[in-house]
Amino acid sequence: MVVVKDGPIVSDEEAANHDGMEDLDVEVSESEAESEEEDDDDAVKLVEPSKNSIYNREGLLDKLGDISWPEDVGWLHKLSIDIHQEQEVDVNDDLNRELALYTQALEGTRQAFVKFESMGRPFLRPTDYYAEMVKSDNHMEKVKGRLLAEKRRIEEAEERRKARENKKMGKQVQAQKLKERAKQKKEEVESVKKWRKQRQQSGFSEKDGTMELAFEEGNAFERSNKRRPGVAPGDRSGGKARQGVGKGKKGADKKRKGRDFKDSKFGFGGKKGLKKQNTADTTNDLRGFNKSDSSKNLKRKR
Amino acid sequence: MGKKRKHAEVVAVPIVKKDEIDSLERPQRTLFGWKDKNVEPEKQTDGTIFRNKEKVLVTCSRRINFRYRHLMLNLVSLLPHCKKDNKVESKTTKGATLNELVELKSCSSCLFFECRKHKDLYLWMAKCPNGPSIKFLVDAVHTMEELKLTGNHLNGSRPLLTFSTNFDGNPHWKLIKEMITQIFGTPKDHRKSKPFHDHVFVFSIADDHIWFRNYQISCPHTGVDKIDRGGLDKLTLIEVGPRFCLNPIKIFGGSFGGPTLYENPYYVAPNQVRALEKRQKAGKYAKKVKAKTRRKMHELSNPLEPDEFADMWKEE
Repeated sequence: MVVVKDGPIVSDEEAANHDGMEDLDVEVSESEAESEEEDDDDAVKLVEPSKNSIYNREGLLDKLGDISWPEDVGWLHKLSIDIHQEQEVDVNDDLNRELALYTQALEGTRQAFVKFESMGRPFLRPTDYYAEMVKSDNHMEKVKGRLLAEKRRIEEAEERRKARENKKMGKQVQAQKLKERAKQKKEEVESVKKWRKQRQQSGFSEKDGTMELAFEEGNAFERSNKRRPGVAPGDRSGGKARQGVGKGKKGADKKRKGRDFKDSKFGFGGKKGLKKQNTADTTNDLRGFNKSDSSKNLKRKR
Repeated sequence: MGKKRKHAEVVAVPIVKKDEIDSLERPQRTLFGWKDKNVEPEKQTDGTIFRNKEKVLVTCSRRINFRYRHLMLNLVSLLPHCKKDNKVESKTTKGATLNELVELKSCSSCLFFECRKHKDLYLWMAKCPNGPSIKFLVDAVHTMEELKLTGNHLNGSRPLLTFSTNFDGNPHWKLIKEMITQIFGTPKDHRKSKPFHDHVFVFSIADDHIWFRNYQISCPHTGVDKIDRGGLDKLTLIEVGPRFCLNPIKIFGGSFGGPTLYENPYYVAPNQVRALEKRQKAGKYAKKVKAKTRRKMHELSNPLEPDEFADMWKEE
């Protein structure tokens, strides 16, 4: 709640300075004057009261007597309540000033409520009492719209802030995850070793083998995560296409011609040079050789 | 127009008689019974009869700012007992014109918004025809249209008036308080008023200015008819507006004129303020020029001693 004082504002100090400036004795730096201007908001005011201002005390009281209502007028006519202000309000402190005014109003309402209740008169309007309001519905719609917009703005800002923080946190989280994974793996290996030892000690050597296999398979599977056989090192499709082919057996024929298959066979993306190099896997891979071909060759030789 | 006035006079005259008769004849007084009669006197405890028939004429000077005009319209919507009139030319003779106008409209007081130079707003608060009148400078104006002020209340419900206690100090504050209670308070049982109270006015003196606020009284989540002591704590206020701040300048004995009874010793006219500001800006340049000439004079009066090494290298 910012109150903007309308009209220009000049401090009393400045007013005083002005008098001095005529003979150029007083030197006020511009910045000083400006800061004063901002500080003394109320400053349309003389420092000292002017001497020759009129104050006709009798006249005022006389007039007051003339216009005032009879003493015994019921409170219902006036509806006025006096509230004592605890402390002097600093006018330039917007927040405190508004608070003081608000508390005055609230206190007044409470007192009035007590009075109304004791008199048995209605106070607030019942909820089903509809009548013309001071502000039109149109206007209130606008007010509501503004409130909603503000709320939305705040929420959006909050979201943005959260996203930013998450981004910051992301790296740490990632590092944490890797660490955890490594730890888990280590633990598993450890537990297997321990278990194996126990088995050996207790003498179940036959069954041991099968169990071992099961565990080793698990380990092997983990390893395969890193490097899949039959996938070129530069293949960014990760050999997924080949797996996909294996999954859908019904549509296997169709898919062989599909993009996925081609990608898996010839590779997709990545550096070409790396893909075309032989690796240990490819040299050991004998899938490309056809056994029947070799038999034909033999026949031909004969 | 003329017809209306006549009617008012006719009503005004027999009030006293009727009251006397009524008080004798009727043992029971009901709200509706009185309303039919169009006269609603209230018997006080000791037998005197008082009825508030305040009517306020609200008008403004010509060439008023839109903001200030809106402020005036806001006040019109807050005062169901007021009559709005056309703009009045703000001349030296405006006092007489306004007095005439007030009489013509059969009003008993007047709020006159005088705008000067499209930026300074003065508010005249006058009791007519022979009451005092007060001239204020209006400051820090916020109108009801501002979207920050989210409250709303019944049009024509009677406001509660809260005053800070420092109104009871000096006689001029007392007088101002009395004027405000009469002008801003809606008369009891006014025909345009509603029988409920859902807003509250704040008049508070801070820094010799009168600050005005208007709050809606709201009590959330309860059926309003059964508001209890507990509900009293839940009362909240929502600001409705408008806001303004009055700086009293002068109090005159008559309406729009007459002997001056009070003069604000601290008051500086906005014109003066602006002039000061301007002059200060002008002073900046004058100061610079003066400093320059002073420097020159100083240099002339204290010439530098000739340097003994000045032509040391020239000889070679």
